[in-house]
Amino acid sequence: MKAANFYLKKKMREVFIIEPNDLNIGFLTNFYKKATAYLKTAPFIIIIPFSFLVGLFIYLIFGYLIVRLTTLLQYGF
Amino acid sequence: MVFKKEQILVNFITSSILVFRNFFFLIFYPYKTMRKISLEKDYWQILIIFFLVFLYFKLSYFLKDKPYRASFTFFTFLVNFFLTAGFFYFLSKFIKKKDSVNSFKSLLFSLSYSLFPTLIWFESVSLLYLILPPPRTTSILGISFSIFFIAYSLSLLFWKLILVFLAIRFSLRLSFYQILYLWFLYLLWFIPYSILLYQAKLFRLPFI
Repeated sequence: MKAANFYLKKKMREVFIIEPNDLNIGFLTNFYKKATAYLKTAPFIIIIPFSFLVGLFIYLIFGYLIVRLTTLLQYGF
Repeated sequence: MVFKKEQILVNFITSSILVFRNFFFLIFYPYKTMRKISLEKDYWQILIIFFLVFLYFKLSYFLKDKPYRASFTFFTFLVNFFLTAGFFYFLSKFIKKKDSVNSFKSLLFSLSYSLFPTLIWFESVSLLYLILPPPRTTSILGISFSIFFIAYSLSLLFWKLILVFLAIRFSLRLSFYQILYLWFLYLLWFIPYSILLYQAKLFRLPFI
């Protein structure tokens, strides 16, 4: 019981390490909370499809420049 | 003396397991894991991450033309890293004068772990350089690969941004706007600094 209590206290201290974010505008704060909820756990579920969409979008807008950009980045290490 | 050596070995192995575990959890639970990391006290973990970075510089040394020595590049990386950490820490002190619970140690831990996406990107690009050396062509395969590569790079970049945001948020206890403001100020000096490093042929893309 004592150990469980200690663990709970430790966990509570960890969870309340920072105060919640307030963006000063109600609508924005709500949006921020909803958006970040998806990024707090397994963010790649959102990130990977979004990145592919951005990649496709770059190709549709800039065309063959994406190939030059890739070549440039491949030399970038 | 023997006991001391054994103790060091045990510390090293334990910290390596913790680093591996934290890296794994940063993929699935970045928020919770970064919060835990910001309370970390085991300096071995930072040393292990820096050692992994050094290994990358050793690997890239063999792939580049006329490279600098790996130890010199690593030293430059350390300067970049501590400049970045110092910049965020001292500016956060100015922003949050009343509440100064933020600690440099906590920032060091969380920023070191935020190097994970950078390390993955640089190592994978080095290996790709061996398997599929540039330049890319404008064939269907070339374009498909380019879209895939850009998507892959962007995914790691977004993950990196999330980790750095969380690192600053948990270590320096700043709000969303304050972090954005600090990032803006950081880019003001870091972009010219990166160009300088590029011209000195140290880094084509800054390793941070």
